[in-house]
Amino acid sequence: MAFGFKRTIQSKGPDRFIINLREDLREVIAAVCDDVLAALDSENAPNQDPMLRRVFPVAHASDESVNEAYRDLVHSDLLRTRREALERVSATANDAELDRATLETWMIGLNTVRLVLGTRLDVSEDGFPQLEPDDPELPAWALYEFLGVFVGMVVDALARTA
Amino acid sequence: MTRPRAADVAPVEIDEPSINTNVDIDRPWIVLVWNDPINLMSYVTYVLQKVFGYSHEKAESLMLDVHEKGRAVVSNGSKEKAELDVFRLHEHGLWATMQQD
Repeated sequence: MAFGFKRTIQSKGPDRFIINLREDLREVIAAVCDDVLAALDSENAPNQDPMLRRVFPVAHASDESVNEAYRDLVHSDLLRTRREALERVSATANDAELDRATLETWMIGLNTVRLVLGTRLDVSEDGFPQLEPDDPELPAWALYEFLGVFVGMVVDALARTA
Repeated sequence: MTRPRAADVAPVEIDEPSINTNVDIDRPWIVLVWNDPINLMSYVTYVLQKVFGYSHEKAESLMLDVHEKGRAVVSNGSKEKAELDVFRLHEHGLWATMQQD
């Protein structure tokens, strides 16, 4: 993954971050957010789509009454904040500079994408599997890895200026 | 060898646990974060700092507990507080649950 020689995310103080990212990777970032937004809008209720189970987790490991009350209480808020984050990342994907709040939104939005993609790929602690070059899952794994590296850079930039 | 007959054994006082059918509503709830293979370790640490205002050291130590032991208690309190904490962790994509302690 060639990010060039500049630090991918340069902090200019705690509230200003320069994003040095190739245009094609910015397109990828916008596209994956739009994909997850489409999944949230799909006809399947989000809490029934197995691909979204990590996006809308249960609140109690075994007590269904706690889970039901929790869903009633927060599901629409959780769906709304997810949608707003993904829309904001998609809308700012080409911005050369981000403020801290927007960079935090990128962190949360792109992590949401990783949760959906990681669930689809059935990611385990074993990490990247051995795949043949023509394996149809290879692009999805490459995307997952890219997002992991990039979210890690976002977290580092936020943490070192916190 | 045979088992001693009941009459040979000195009676022992047993503390029978009292059976309390009332759920203690004041019993605090705990919020757990569970290990998962997707979230980055640095991400979990940052989220725990941001959501709870924990120091980097405390957040990192909780994250390592999650990673090594499979889960860690990250907060506790009333049911309402636990629900809010779980919600904020879910907003950040952490795998959190609540239960009565």
